[in-house]
Amino acid sequence: MADDLAFASVVELGRLLRQKKTSATELATYFLERLERIGPRYNAVVTVTRERALAEAAQADREIRQGKWRGPLHGIPYGVKDLLATKDYPTSWGAAPYQQQKFAADASVVERLGAAGGVLVAKLAMVELAGGMGYNQPNASFTGPGKTPWNPAYWSGGSSSGPGAAVAAGLVPFAIGSETSGSILTPAAYCGVTGLRPTYGLVSRHGAMALAWTMDKLGPLGRSAEDCRIVLFVIAGKDAKDPSTVDRDLRTAAESPNKRYRIGIPKGADKDIQAEVAANFRQALKVLEDRVEVVEDVELPDLPYGAVAGMIIAAEGASAFDDLLKDGRLSQLTAPEDRTGGYPALAVSAPDYLRALRVRRPMQRALDDFLKKFDALAVPTRTTVASPLDKSFRDGWPGVTGGANVIGPTNVVGVPAVSVPNGFGVQNLPTGLSFTARAFDEGKLVTLARLYQSRTDWHTRRPPIA
Amino acid sequence: MDGITRRAFAEQFALAVAAPWFMEDMPQPRAQNPQAQQEPSPLAKALAETMRLRYPDRFSADDLTAITRSIDNRLRQIERLYQTALTNGDEPDFVYSVYRGAD
Repeated sequence: MADDLAFASVVELGRLLRQKKTSATELATYFLERLERIGPRYNAVVTVTRERALAEAAQADREIRQGKWRGPLHGIPYGVKDLLATKDYPTSWGAAPYQQQKFAADASVVERLGAAGGVLVAKLAMVELAGGMGYNQPNASFTGPGKTPWNPAYWSGGSSSGPGAAVAAGLVPFAIGSETSGSILTPAAYCGVTGLRPTYGLVSRHGAMALAWTMDKLGPLGRSAEDCRIVLFVIAGKDAKDPSTVDRDLRTAAESPNKRYRIGIPKGADKDIQAEVAANFRQALKVLEDRVEVVEDVELPDLPYGAVAGMIIAAEGASAFDDLLKDGRLSQLTAPEDRTGGYPALAVSAPDYLRALRVRRPMQRALDDFLKKFDALAVPTRTTVASPLDKSFRDGWPGVTGGANVIGPTNVVGVPAVSVPNGFGVQNLPTGLSFTARAFDEGKLVTLARLYQSRTDWHTRRPPIA
Repeated sequence: MDGITRRAFAEQFALAVAAPWFMEDMPQPRAQNPQAQQEPSPLAKALAETMRLRYPDRFSADDLTAITRSIDNRLRQIERLYQTALTNGDEPDFVYSVYRGAD
């Protein structure tokens, strides 16, 4: 089977399946072999789910032969970040104390992908406890630091490190990651893949490890915005097991092919950041110049996003992991800073946590009023390329002091964003371009990202994998 | 403060304390501002002492220093939370709903 298959999109693989040029079993076998052979190079894989994958693939082949077509993911292999529960396989949350943890049922997202005919081939690596204990360097998982396939001396990003690296290395066509604040967008940028962070509540969190119940989101990482859209349509929707979920019609109204999108650029977005990242950002806007109206130097409402996020993550994280804090198993975590990072949260008072939740409501309104002036905000996803593995994040790229923080504030209020690869920077590492929009405007984000990807080929580039 | 307003510094500092992955590529206020290196407040020290009392055999001196510093940082964030005006009727952003099971 040609290596091209490893980097084929969901759309292309679906076409091959429908044309009977391959089978679900052939695809599963092919990606299982790559996961086992190449996955360890990038510390990308926790568990290869071989038996389950072959059983699901065999079922898909039977159904496809019988003419029962479940949709665009039927027979397509995929991986999930190892914070999603799956029956019959451990779910480690990236953390040594939970290496052997098992659940009796699949997470709702896994159930939905299974119902759509998807074939689960791997549980993918992640930063321990999704970074909830405050890691400050890449080696923060019992599987070792995630490595970007573009240069394994550099980080894959976190906390969805395995999903980012596995998609980039052609080990899975797509993967499910999670984001509390940056954990889908960052690995998407550092690994040169597309990542879509949905609106809070659009995708069920049932069966997913909780870090901060009111901020956690699950979403796809894939080869293109179109692939991410296809996956999102399958996993989104109301779930009785997650009361925060909502039903929304994700279809976008037909728009004029000449519609010009109004894009806000936050003040300082490309100032005092790595020069290549800034240049790639400006070049990306130039690619879209006939379809976008750029509004420079826009400023987010002046509100205490960091204080609210800090209080919510601290209080909810300390509660979600109170068993680890109480019995001292935090000491078994990989990153030294994670072994004490949860204790300060025990000093958070209940009124202070509630104050943060009360402040977040006017914050949501203010940010929505701000975002409705634009179709989307655009920023470089990260202000640097991937951090070196052997340094703390703080020391990785000294001297980079600028940028506009959009990831933090927009995660606090739960609005969606997409990151697409837009070139290469230092050490030939990938850079990312992000669009962020109002709640439930995923359709608009995907449209913008697809427009960009229809005019560029960064998302089709392949890392040098022997 | 070099090229950064006091309010912007406060926000960046809060984000840094909130969670390091917020700030991987943001300005580094701790290194730029001597205020960030100041002695932890008595309240932070007292709260850290409650951690030691709660788990007497768990922490080294270095651990307690890190915990004290982190609590001190968080106490400074809290000030920002109370600068946003709220009324008595402004509720938290979640809704409690009553439960009635099957009859």
